[in-house]
Amino acid sequence: MSLPKTLLFCIFLVLGFSAFSHPEDELIISEIEQGQLSMQDQQMTAEYEAALKRQRMRRLAAMSWQQRFLLFIKAGIEHIIPKGLDHILFVLGLFFSSLIIGSLLWQVTSFTLAHTVTLALAALGIIQAPGNIVEPLIAFSIIYVAIENCFFKETNKWRPLIVFSFGLLHGLGFAAVLNEYGLPENGLVPTLLAFNIGVELGQLIVLFSAAALFWMIRKKSWYRQWVQIPASVMIALVGLFWFIERTIL
Amino acid sequence: MKKLLFIATIVLLGACQSQQEQTEMQSSENPFFQEWDTPFGIPPFDKIKDEHYMPAFEKGMKENLAEIDAIVNNPEDPTFANTLEELERAGKLLTKVSRVFYNMTGSNTNPKIQELQRELSPIVSAHSDKITLNEGLFKRVEAIWQARETLDLTSEQQKLLADTRKSFVRSGALLNEEQKAKITEINSQVSELTTAFGQNLLAETNGFELILEEEDLDGLSEGTIAAAAETAAQKMDRAETEEEKAKYKDKYVFTPHRSSMYPFLTESNRRDLREKLYKSYVQRGDNDNETDNKQVAAKLAKLRAERAQLMGYETHAHFVLEERMLKSPDEVYGLLTKLWEPALARAKAEVADMQAVVDMEGHEFKLAGWDWWQYAEKVRKAKYDLDEAAIKPYLSLDNVLNGVFETTNKLWGLTFTELYDVNVYHPDARVWEVKDKDGSHLGIFIGDYFTRSNKRGGAWMSSFKGQSNLDGRERPIVVNVCNFPAPVGDNPALLSFENVTTLFHEFGHAMHGILTNVTYGSMAGTSGPRDFTEFPAQILEHWASEPEILKSFAKHYQTGEVIPDELINKLLKASKFNQGFENTEYLAASLLDMDWHTVKADEDLKDADAFEEASLKKIGLIDEIAPRYRSTYFSHIFAGGYASGYYSYVHSAVLDSDGFEAFKEAGDVFDPELAAKLRTHVYEKGSTEEAMDLYTQFRGRQPEIDALLKVRGLDGSSD
Ligand SMILES: [Zn+2]
Repeated sequence: MSLPKTLLFCIFLVLGFSAFSHPEDELIISEIEQGQLSMQDQQMTAEYEAALKRQRMRRLAAMSWQQRFLLFIKAGIEHIIPKGLDHILFVLGLFFSSLIIGSLLWQVTSFTLAHTVTLALAALGIIQAPGNIVEPLIAFSIIYVAIENCFFKETNKWRPLIVFSFGLLHGLGFAAVLNEYGLPENGLVPTLLAFNIGVELGQLIVLFSAAALFWMIRKKSWYRQWVQIPASVMIALVGLFWFIERTIL
Repeated sequence: MKKLLFIATIVLLGACQSQQEQTEMQSSENPFFQEWDTPFGIPPFDKIKDEHYMPAFEKGMKENLAEIDAIVNNPEDPTFANTLEELERAGKLLTKVSRVFYNMTGSNTNPKIQELQRELSPIVSAHSDKITLNEGLFKRVEAIWQARETLDLTSEQQKLLADTRKSFVRSGALLNEEQKAKITEINSQVSELTTAFGQNLLAETNGFELILEEEDLDGLSEGTIAAAAETAAQKMDRAETEEEKAKYKDKYVFTPHRSSMYPFLTESNRRDLREKLYKSYVQRGDNDNETDNKQVAAKLAKLRAERAQLMGYETHAHFVLEERMLKSPDEVYGLLTKLWEPALARAKAEVADMQAVVDMEGHEFKLAGWDWWQYAEKVRKAKYDLDEAAIKPYLSLDNVLNGVFETTNKLWGLTFTELYDVNVYHPDARVWEVKDKDGSHLGIFIGDYFTRSNKRGGAWMSSFKGQSNLDGRERPIVVNVCNFPAPVGDNPALLSFENVTTLFHEFGHAMHGILTNVTYGSMAGTSGPRDFTEFPAQILEHWASEPEILKSFAKHYQTGEVIPDELINKLLKASKFNQGFENTEYLAASLLDMDWHTVKADEDLKDADAFEEASLKKIGLIDEIAPRYRSTYFSHIFAGGYASGYYSYVHSAVLDSDGFEAFKEAGDVFDPELAAKLRTHVYEKGSTEEAMDLYTQFRGRQPEIDALLKVRGLDGSSD
């Protein structure tokens, strides 16, 4: 190995443990040799995040498949509650669209199918979509379903189809977070499955909570005017805010 | 008094009485005041906050002084057990907090820690002095020393006693009051001058900048340009006035810091600018301004000589070397001069090679110091062409770690189990449990390999917990910190071969810290003399470049293909590149260091320039090469603890080459008998015996330099 490098690192080695007697020297010599450390918050945060991901990946690689399966179910749930506020709002948007269980079931099923497809395709690297397009579109999907809720008392027959196409978008969104979270190299398919199960569970929790709150009053005459429409308006406004934030800001 | 020094030195002290109450209040939640019930006693990093350090230091020092008082005032007659062993036990809290704190200052610092470090630093010596100059304590040690023949001590105890007494004596314990006063006076002058030297040098290094326009960048690579633009941007950020900001706007800045200078000297086609930057580097501290170091260096050398004479030594070098493996200036000069001629001859051959390139390019000039990097690179490409990018895919961090684990497994039967659930101070720091051949626990190894903004440059080994058998079996926690480039995205981290040797080197230090098996903690692991402790690290590097071992771990990270022989050959050949230069500049600096510290107290020293010139003329250093450090910026010897010790690196290199040669001679790099000897006589022994004895017990004879000359291509065989 080259001598200068040997020297350089030995300096720190020696000062590091046996010459604790000269901590002041250690400071000044390293500053002379290397200049000041430039500790910029932004860069340090980025470095830390990357290190955390590497740590997660190492842990994943060392896990048994059962542990990994459970972990990704948990991750899936977490990516709805509490981290996936936009997905929660979308699902609530669906919830406030219909009083008929059948219709709601159709919508949720087509949403689930769609996002499963794109999540898998994106995670396997078959398709790719840039976040700066997907994210605003997700915000738009929230606005769309919420506004539609205000204009139509009951959903039209095209609704499941539209929800399906929105589901494709949301799947891409899940894939992006999943990618950030880190996927193990082996056992990709079971991992995806587990994550998806987690996402479904998260979704169901949202739906059941909403149902528990509103089921009893859904037949009341004032439900649409005082609950369904105001809630949808609120959802649309938040969606609008995100849309602006993700496109302009 | 190794322990004393150890504690006194490991410790910093903050004597703020006003914070007392606050300290009491925090004590319940301060993790340093609690027993750590973590796995293997790994520090609970998640609970340790920056504000815990100072109170822990304060309390630690208070406790430490109380413990020393208790030893001194013990009404019983001094015995080994009630004095030396109690000293070993003293300072637990202080050691606990110091280890964590000083590790963090290097590997995971922040502005708050940096400030604490400065605040604590002067207090260190104060606390240290209170112990090393404690007369009552020395009296007890001396009484035991005088009675040593009658005490039936083990050899380890004898060494501890002798070392402890010697540290007291070396701090002036045997001097009369007048002499002591004189020493104290000299010490305070020395410490002032040392600080001044460092501050001057820092000012000189930061003071020069080469501010360039776009058209001055001829020859520079994208990476170098980007770094220079970044330096300019940072300077602009820090600038206070608009005028100053404008100076850096859209400019490129190079500085005399090596990381900035070397790429410029290598790549830039502007000979005039190369000369300017190079000269700014070699003239540091020699500009006849208020930050000039010429007088400072001369005064320091003189004061050290006076101090040595007062203590009864011929020169400062005699004083320092008494505690080293090479015991006298004669031995050191002997080694350095034996290496000097072959190194210089090789350097001259390198000059000729490069001058040939200069001439061939049609230039008229004679090669100068500022041309060296550029033309060396041209020669390297032509003769030793080694494509780093072609090698890296074979050297993923995980593969290399497997390689080094496997090496120690074949040598000593060690096994490593990664502990995924243990969090330490940073998510990039990985934790392994190290087990011996019989499955028993040996220690904890932490590997923190990637570079980051809050980590010091370089690579080092340190520990969070020491080893001792005094009160039951205590096993160590050891850390390796490196600065390898972090992986990009989800790709694995790929290392250069130089990184690989660094990893093996630091791992060698780690093994020294982990295999150690001594009774008294202050003599454990890497506590030995500086010219010996590099040996266990450097010898391990040799295994990294053994083709047989390289092939066992260097597999392509995508295809799994084993590294081809052709690449290995190129790799090994490249290690001989530029060795004439590197050895010459290093040896010149080492000889300069020795010259400075073999001056007599009554010698007439003018300033550093005249002294240095004479010194270099004597050895015949050529103009194209400057000593690795000139006197006015030789911070290791004038601002750090390396006075008369800069030769250590090459001494350790002699040992490692000669030591590895033993395995070669045995015809098996894992020869079980030799491996066992290496472990029992070197890695396990710490400083419980004289270093030279340890080496000869392993090697069967004293070290010789031939193997080193061969390894570095200085034996005349390379062209
Ligand atoms: Zn080292």
